[in-house]
Amino acid sequence: MNHHSGCSGRSCKRRVARRTAVIGCRIFLGAAFTLLGYAGTFAQSRAVVLKGGKLLTVSRGTIESGVLVMQDGKIMAVGPAGTVSVPSDAQVIDVTGMTVYPGLIDSETHLGLVEILEGGSSSDLVETSDEIMPQMHVADAFHAESDLIPVTRMNGVTNAIVAPDSLDTLPGQDSFIQLAGKSAEEMLVIRDVAMPLNFTGNQRRNESWEKRNFPQTRMGMAAQLRQAFLDAQDYAEQWARYERKRNVEEKGAGKDEKLEAPKHNLRLEALLPYLEGKKTVVLAAEEPSDLKTAVALAREFNLKFVLNHISHSQSVLDYVASLKVPVIVGPIYKTPKPEERYDTVYRLPAELHKRGVKIAFSSSFDVDTYNVRNLPYQAGFATSFGLPYDEALKAITLNPAEIWGMGDKLGSLDVGKIANVVIADGDPLDVKTDVKQVFIEGQQIPMTSRQTSLRDAYSR
Amino acid sequence: MPSSSSAPARGLAFWGVDNLRMFLFLLAAGATQTQAQIPLGSASAHNEVLVTNAVVMTVTHGNIRNGEIYIKDGKIAAVGVNLPTPVTAELIDAGGKYVTPGLVDCHSHIALGGEDEVNEATNPITPEMMMVDAFDYQDKAIYRVLAGGVTTSMLLHGSANMIGGQAVVIKHKYGAGREAMLFPEAPRSIKFASGENPKRVYGQERHQLPSTRMGNFAVQRESLVRAQDYMREWDEYKAQVQMGKAAKMPRHDLKLEALADILRGNLLVQIHCYRADELLTEMAMAKEFGYKVRAFHHALEAYKVADKIAAEGVGIATFADWWGFKQEAWDAIPWNAVMAMRKGVRVAIKSDSGDFARRLNQEAAKAMRYGGATEEEALKMITLNAAWVIGVDDRVGSLDVGKDADIVIWDGYPLSSYGVPNKVLIDGVVYFDRSYPGYGMPRFKEEDQ
Repeated sequence: MNHHSGCSGRSCKRRVARRTAVIGCRIFLGAAFTLLGYAGTFAQSRAVVLKGGKLLTVSRGTIESGVLVMQDGKIMAVGPAGTVSVPSDAQVIDVTGMTVYPGLIDSETHLGLVEILEGGSSSDLVETSDEIMPQMHVADAFHAESDLIPVTRMNGVTNAIVAPDSLDTLPGQDSFIQLAGKSAEEMLVIRDVAMPLNFTGNQRRNESWEKRNFPQTRMGMAAQLRQAFLDAQDYAEQWARYERKRNVEEKGAGKDEKLEAPKHNLRLEALLPYLEGKKTVVLAAEEPSDLKTAVALAREFNLKFVLNHISHSQSVLDYVASLKVPVIVGPIYKTPKPEERYDTVYRLPAELHKRGVKIAFSSSFDVDTYNVRNLPYQAGFATSFGLPYDEALKAITLNPAEIWGMGDKLGSLDVGKIANVVIADGDPLDVKTDVKQVFIEGQQIPMTSRQTSLRDAYSR
Repeated sequence: MPSSSSAPARGLAFWGVDNLRMFLFLLAAGATQTQAQIPLGSASAHNEVLVTNAVVMTVTHGNIRNGEIYIKDGKIAAVGVNLPTPVTAELIDAGGKYVTPGLVDCHSHIALGGEDEVNEATNPITPEMMMVDAFDYQDKAIYRVLAGGVTTSMLLHGSANMIGGQAVVIKHKYGAGREAMLFPEAPRSIKFASGENPKRVYGQERHQLPSTRMGNFAVQRESLVRAQDYMREWDEYKAQVQMGKAAKMPRHDLKLEALADILRGNLLVQIHCYRADELLTEMAMAKEFGYKVRAFHHALEAYKVADKIAAEGVGIATFADWWGFKQEAWDAIPWNAVMAMRKGVRVAIKSDSGDFARRLNQEAAKAMRYGGATEEEALKMITLNAAWVIGVDDRVGSLDVGKDADIVIWDGYPLSSYGVPNKVLIDGVVYFDRSYPGYGMPRFKEEDQ
C-alpha cells in the first residue's frame, strides 16, 4: 500500500472527493448501529457485508476492491469483488474508498486497571507489598466499564494484553482481552494468558540507602526469583509424592497413618503452569546484562518465554535472534542513552526483523495507558526507520495474535476468524487517518466515548 | 492541503527578482566582512546557502512546489521558485522533499539538570529563579530533540509553584557551546502554575499553604499585592530623592523585583492551567492586577471557554491528545486544539516532554485528524504560533524573508506518522543530517563540549 504518499498533490484531491462518500457512509453506519445496538457475543445472525473497500488481509496481502462477509461474530467470506457470494438477506455496507483491516492488538497495556492515575484511589495497577506475587490475577481487578476502553477501541484497537505494572519481578498474571462486551466475563478472552517477569532494575527496593529493603540489588532480585521457583518445584514435588502415596493406599497397599495433604499455597501453585512450560513468561529487560541474567534464569527453570522491551540491548541483537523467541518491542519512544544515536531505539523493530525475529508492538510506557489508541502510529513511525510496512502492520495484528495463542482466531481478515474488523478512511498506521467504524465479534461498536460526548456538548 | 501547487511564486512577492540581484551584488561585496561574525559557519566558509528542489511549506503563504530558499548570513533572504543561483552559495538539493520552518517547542523542561532541578519546590512563589542558571547545554536531549526537527525551545520552570521561575529560550545548536545556544534577545517569560500540582506539593507533601485552589489563588494574590507595595516604596523613594530630600533606600528584593516586572508588563506570563474555571480565574486575576496572560499551557479544558480566552487575546499551548493521568486532565479531549482555534484562540502544540519533543510533527498532525485542521493550521501550531507564545514570532516560525534560517528538510510527509527530519539547519547551518554517521551532527565534536 502506498503509505509514503502522505497527502501530496493530486492524490489529495482524490481524497477530498472521497470524503463526500465517507460522510454518506458514516450516516449509514450510524443508522445501522442505532438499529443493532451492541447486543453482545454472537448475537448477530443477519450477515453484514462490507463491500468495495480496500482490504488489508495481513495474511494474504491487499485486495484493492474487496468484499468481506461477517456473520455470527465470525468472518464468513473475504475476497475480491465478484468472487464472494453474498447472502441475500445480508446488510450491505458500501465502504468504497475506505480501508478495511483486522482489529489491532496491543501487547502490553494496563487497560481496566486504572482510571485516574494520580491520587491512586482508582488504581489497581500493581501490588507492591511483595516482589513475587504470581497469585495476583489482573482478571480479578479488570474494570470492564473503564472510560478508557471506548476511547481506545474507537481508534481500532480491539484486543490487548492487560498486564500489572512492572514494579515487581513477578507482579501477577496477564489477561488477553477484547475491548467490547457487556461484562468483564465477555471481555476477558484468556485469563492468566501469561506472566510477566520483570528484570529491569525498577523492581529493586532501594528508594534510598536509608530506605532499603530486600531485594536492594539485582543480585537480590535474582536470588529471590530463584528461591521462588525452587519453592514451587518443591511444592510440586510434595504434592506429587502425596498423590503417589495416596494412589498406593487406594490400591490397598496398607495405610500410612501420617499421610497428610500438603498445605495449599496459591503463590507457588500459580507458578506451576509456567514451570511446566504450559504458559508463557514475558521476560522484560532493557540492558544486555539484565537480559542475559533473566534469560539464564528462565533457562535454569525451563521456562517458555518471550522477550519484552530490550530497548537498550542493540549490542546483542544477534544473541536475541539466536534465542528464537518473539520480542515485544515498545514503546520505541524510550529515550536512548546519552552516548547513543537519536534513532537507536526507533530502529529496534527493523533491526530485529532483519534478524528474523518475530515482533509485536506495545504502547505501554510506564503506566500511561491513556493513549493505547496511538499504537498504530508507533508501527508507522518504525517504518521510517527501516521496518517494512507489511511487517509493521503484522506486528500489531497477526504477530501478537500468534504470540498470545490466538493465531487461528484473530489478526487477519481470514475466513473463520473472529470478526474484529476496522473501517478507516486511509492508512491504518498514519496519524491522520480517521477510524470510521469498528466491529468486535461482528458487532458494530458505538463510535462514541466520554470524549466524544464532551466534544459534542461543547460544540453546540 | 491548501496550496501545495497553487502558490508557485508568491515567495518572491516579498522580494522581486531585481531586488534579489541587487541584494546578491551587495552581499558579494560584503561577504568577507560578515563571514567572520558567524559562529560555526560551515567549514567551506559558505555564508550563503541555497536549498533547492523542495516543497516549501512556508506556514504563512502556502506551499511552493519546486521551491527554493536562499539563505544569507543565517537569515532567509529569498523564498520562491527559480531564484538566481549565486555561485558562492552552498547548494542543498532537497530532492523534492518537504521543507518546513524549524519546529518550535514552547513548553519544555529538557536540559535543566533533570526532574529534581526543574522546580524550586520550597516556596510557592519563586519568580527570581532563572532557568538560564540551570541550563545544561551539554544535555544530549537537546540533540535528540534537534533530530526531531525542533530548532527553538522554551525551557520552563516546573509547575510546583504558583509563580515559578523565568524561562530560558534556546536554539538547538548542539555542540556550539552555551552562549551560542541562547536565543538572542528573546523576551522574558515567567511560569505560573495552578491547580493540583501546587496543592499536592505544598498541601499534601509539606502540610502548608496552599492545599486548595482557594489557597493557590490566595498565595498568588498575596504575592502580587506585596509587589505593588514594593513598587510604591520605590516610587516614593525615587520621588523623595528627586526632590532632593533625604530618604531611606528600600531593599533591592530579587523576588519582589521579579513580581514587579510582571506588573510592569516586562514578563510574558505563561500559565500552567487545566480546568476551565481556573482559566477564567487566572484571567480575572490578571485583570485585577493589570498584567496580561500570554498563554495558558496545557489548557486541556480550553474548549469549554474558548470564546472567553480568545476575547482576551490569550494563546494556548496544549497537548494533542494527553488526558486522564490526573483529575484535572479527565475532561481533556483531542479536539481541544481545533475547537479552541475555531473560536479564535491562537493555539500551539507543545511537548512538555523530552520524548514527545522528538516528534512534535506527529502531534500536530493529530489536529488534522481530530477536528480537521488544515495542513497549514496544524503546522502553525508547532511553528509560528508556538513562536508567538515565546514572543519570537518575528524571528522564527515561518519561511519568510528576514527570518532566521531555521529549516527542516523532511523524509516523508511531515504531518504524518512517517515524517522524519533528514536535515535540520539553524541560522543557515546544518546542525543535523540524518545521513551523517555517528550522531548525525556534522559539526559536533564531543571534546568541544
